[in-house]
Amino acid sequence: MSQETVVQTRSLSKVYRDFWGRQKVRALKALDLEVHRGEVFGLLGPNGSGKTTTIKLLLGLLFPTSGEALIFGKNSTDVGKNERLGYLPEESYLYRFLNAEETLDFYARLFDMEPAVRQERVDALIKQVGLDKARKRQLQEYSKGMTRRIGLAQALINNPELILLDEPTSGLDPLGTREMKDMILRLKDEGKTVIMCSHLLADVQDVCDRIAILHQGELKELGRVDELLTVADVTQIRATGLSDDCQNEIRDVINRHNGEVLQMDNPTTTLEELFLSIVRDSEARPGRRAASPTEQGSAPQSDA
Amino acid sequence: MVLEQDILPYLQWFLGSSDTLGALPRFLLVALGVALLGLLGGYAVAAARHGILRGGDLTYRTVSAGFRELFEMSPRRIGALAKLAIKEAWRRRVWVAFAVFIVILMFAGWFLKTDHQDPAKLYISFVLTATTYLVLGIALLLSAFSLPSDFKSKTIYTIVTKPVRSGEIILGRILGFTAIGTILLATMAICSYVFVVRSLDHTHDVELSTLKKIAGATGNEGRTSLDAYHRHFIELDVEGAENQALSNHGHYHPISRRGENIRVGQAENFIRARIPQWGTLRYLDRQGTEQARGISVGSEWTYRSFIEGRSQAAAIWTFENVKPPSYLDDPDIPDEDKGLPIGLIVRVFRTHKGTIGKAIGGSIQVRNPETLLTSEIDYFPAVDAKVDEQTIPRKLTNIADGSEIDLYEDVIQDGKLEVIVQCLEPGQYFGFARPDCYLRMPDGSPILNFVKVYLSIWVQMVIVIAIGVSASALLSGPVAMLLTVSFVLLGFFRDFFVGVAAGTEYGGGPVESLVRLITQQNVMSPLKAGGAEPIVQGIDFGLQGIMLSVAQVLPDFSAFSTVSFAAYGYEVPAERVFQDLTTCLAYIAGLAVVGYFLLRTREVAR
Repeated sequence: MSQETVVQTRSLSKVYRDFWGRQKVRALKALDLEVHRGEVFGLLGPNGSGKTTTIKLLLGLLFPTSGEALIFGKNSTDVGKNERLGYLPEESYLYRFLNAEETLDFYARLFDMEPAVRQERVDALIKQVGLDKARKRQLQEYSKGMTRRIGLAQALINNPELILLDEPTSGLDPLGTREMKDMILRLKDEGKTVIMCSHLLADVQDVCDRIAILHQGELKELGRVDELLTVADVTQIRATGLSDDCQNEIRDVINRHNGEVLQMDNPTTTLEELFLSIVRDSEARPGRRAASPTEQGSAPQSDA
Repeated sequence: MVLEQDILPYLQWFLGSSDTLGALPRFLLVALGVALLGLLGGYAVAAARHGILRGGDLTYRTVSAGFRELFEMSPRRIGALAKLAIKEAWRRRVWVAFAVFIVILMFAGWFLKTDHQDPAKLYISFVLTATTYLVLGIALLLSAFSLPSDFKSKTIYTIVTKPVRSGEIILGRILGFTAIGTILLATMAICSYVFVVRSLDHTHDVELSTLKKIAGATGNEGRTSLDAYHRHFIELDVEGAENQALSNHGHYHPISRRGENIRVGQAENFIRARIPQWGTLRYLDRQGTEQARGISVGSEWTYRSFIEGRSQAAAIWTFENVKPPSYLDDPDIPDEDKGLPIGLIVRVFRTHKGTIGKAIGGSIQVRNPETLLTSEIDYFPAVDAKVDEQTIPRKLTNIADGSEIDLYEDVIQDGKLEVIVQCLEPGQYFGFARPDCYLRMPDGSPILNFVKVYLSIWVQMVIVIAIGVSASALLSGPVAMLLTVSFVLLGFFRDFFVGVAAGTEYGGGPVESLVRLITQQNVMSPLKAGGAEPIVQGIDFGLQGIMLSVAQVLPDFSAFSTVSFAAYGYEVPAERVFQDLTTCLAYIAGLAVVGYFLLRTREVAR
C-alpha cells in the first residue's frame, strides 16, 4: 500500500457556539490524523463523539475553530479538492423530485463532464448499483435501500480517489449491507481511499484497514484493525482431533496424546469488545488516551 | 402622461456629464463602499472569533479565493443549477400564479367599466399592474425560500461537496428562477394582450336617421348607434370609400360604403404607441416676463405649474432637430397634409365654473426662435387631461402683417421651433409640464411597445429574485422574504425614503416622527419632547445616515414601471429600456457578489 497521505488533520478542533458566540459544545479536540492512499479508514465513536463533525470538517461543511484539515494537500475549505472526492451522506440528501437518471446527470454536470462522458458514466453507475429498472422513477418512490444505492452512485459519479461514507450500511437489509461492504472492498481494490464512519462495528471490522475511535471529541485509539484486536498477553491454541477427555486439560493432553497443534498465536477480541472497553475507560478517566483492552487482558475470544 | 424624470441619452446616463454623475461611476462608487464595508465587517467578525492575525489571514484567503473562483466558474455547472431551480419551481407549483391570473382575467370584465373615457387605459393599466404584483410575489416566494429549503433538507450537502463555487449556486438560482419567471411572464403577456383586445373589441351601426348633408360642403354627417357606452360622430364624403367614425373613447372605426350600405368596422387605434419628440419648456408670467416655472395653484404635486388665462402668461416649448416630412416635396400630396403633427395635454384648473359643458378656450402659435416670426393665433378647446392631437398647418399667417408664411421655410430655423400655448379665459388656468407638448412622430408598434413594458416588469422581477436569492444565502426563508419585501416596499417609495433620510420631508426623522405620532404633534410645528429634543434628533441623525447609505443600493421600483407609457398609449423609449436592462445587470452582478460572500463565509452544516 502506498504511504501517500490523502487526508491529514493537524490539531483539528471544533467548538460549536451560540448566536452570541458563547461556547456550547467542544465537539472535537485537537485531532491529529493521517489517512493514506488506498486504505479503508474507519471512524468509530458513540453518538456525539465527534466523528460526523470530523467528516463535515474534512468536507468543508464546517470551518475548524483551530487547526486545519488537508485533503490532497489542500485546505478542506478549498472547493478544488472536491474534484477528486465523493461523499455519501448519512441520509441520502438528494432531490426527491428527480429520477435516478436526472439525479446522476445533474451531479455529473456539477463536475463539468462532457455530455458523452456524462451519459456513459450515468448508465454505468445505474447498472452498477442495480437501479436499471428504476432509472425513470422519481426518488420519492424509492425504498430506503434504493435511495442508499443512488446516493452511493452520486458519490461515485466523478470516479473519485477519496470517498467519504457516513454510515454507509445504515438502513440496509443484510443483503444490501453485504453488497455495500463488497462495494467498499472493490473500491479499495481499485486503489481508492475510503473513509467511513459507522455504528455497525461488525461492518467496520469487515472492511476497514485502520480505525480511529473517538469519544467526547477526543481521539482514543488509532491503528490497524488486526493489531488493535490482537490480545497480546494471551496465547490461543487451535487444535483438532482431540478426544472429549482431553479437552479439560488441553495443554497437557495435546502433548501426552500426540495431538496436532494447528495454530498457536495471540487471540483477537471483537471490535465491539474493543469499542465498549475504550468508551468505558474514557468515561472513567476522561481526557486520557484509553488503554487498549488487549493490553488489559480483557476477554479474549477463543476459537478453541 | 406623466414623466417626472427626464430620460437621458444612454451614454450620458451611463457615463454622466459635467453636472451629473453617470450610472457607471455611481455603481463603482457604491460597489467600492459596499466592498470596504463588507471587508471591514468580515474582518471584525473573523478577528473576534479567531484573533487579529488569524482573522486577517482568513479574510485575505476568503477575498483572494473569491477573485480566483470568479475565473473558475463553469457555465455548465451554472446551467445545471439553473435547470434544477426550474424543476424545483415547477414542483412548487409556480403555475398556480398563472391560474390565479387567468381567474382574475375571467372576472375582471365584471368590474372594469367600458364607459370610461379611455377604456384602453383602464384595461391596460389593470392587466399590467396585476401581472406586476403577481410576478413580483411569485419571484419573492421562489427566491427567498429556495436555498433555505436546501439547507433544511440538507440537499445542499451534496452540492457543496462537489466542485461547485458559491457564486455558481447563487447565479444558478437567479438564472433558473428568472427563466421560469420569464416563461410565466411571457404567457401572462400573451393572455393580457388577447384579453385587452377582445374586451375592447366592438362595433356600431350608423343611425341613418341622423345622416344629413354637411352645410357648405359635399358629403353627409351623422352619428353611430350607442354601443359600449359611447357613440361616434361620422362624416361621410360622397365617394364614401375611406371614411372613419371620428375618434372617441380613444379609438375610431373605419366606415365602408357600398351604395346605400354603410358598414362600421371594428374599433381601431385603441392600443397605441405614440412616439413623442419632446422639447424644453419655459413660462411667461402675466406681465410677459420669462420664468423657469409657472404659478402654483396649491397642489402638493409640483410636477405641473400653471399659466393664468387672458394675460400675457404663456407656456413656450422649444423643439430642436425638427425635420420636415420626407414627402414634403411630393406634388401628389396636398399642402394641407404636410403639416406638423403635435400632441398637447392640458390640465385645466378652474377658479370658477365658467359655462357648463363648454371647454376652456386656449390658443396655440408657432414662432421662429431666431427671427421671432410668429404665426396667427389658432384656437382650441381644452379638455382636461385629454391628449389633443393637432396638426400645425404648413401654410400659416404672419400675425404681424397677415402675410402667408411657410412653416418649414419661415418658422422652423436650423431645426428649431417654438410652440406657444396660452389660456384665453380670465380666471382660468392651464397647467403644463415639459412632456405635455410634443411633436408626434409616426406611431410605433403597439405589440412591440407591450413587449417593452413587459421587459420593465421582467427587470423588476429579476431584481427581486436577485435580492431574495442573495438574502437567503445567509438568512432563513421567512427572514429573507421579509428583507426582500422591505427592499421592494422601500424601493416603491424610494423618493419618500430618501426624503426622510435627507431630512427634506416634514416631521423629521424616524424617531422624531414616532414621538410626534405618539404625542399627537403636527409635522409643521417645532418638536416638543420635554427637553429630549437633542437626543431624539441625535438618534435621528445616526439613523438618517444609515438610511442614506441604504438608499444608495435601494432599487427604485417606481421608476422601473413603464405601465403608464402603455396605458396612456406612448411608446417606451428604447433609451429607457436599455437603461433599465443595464441597471438590472448591475443589480445581478452586485447581488451575486454579495450572495457569494454570504454563502462562502457561512457554515453549510450545523
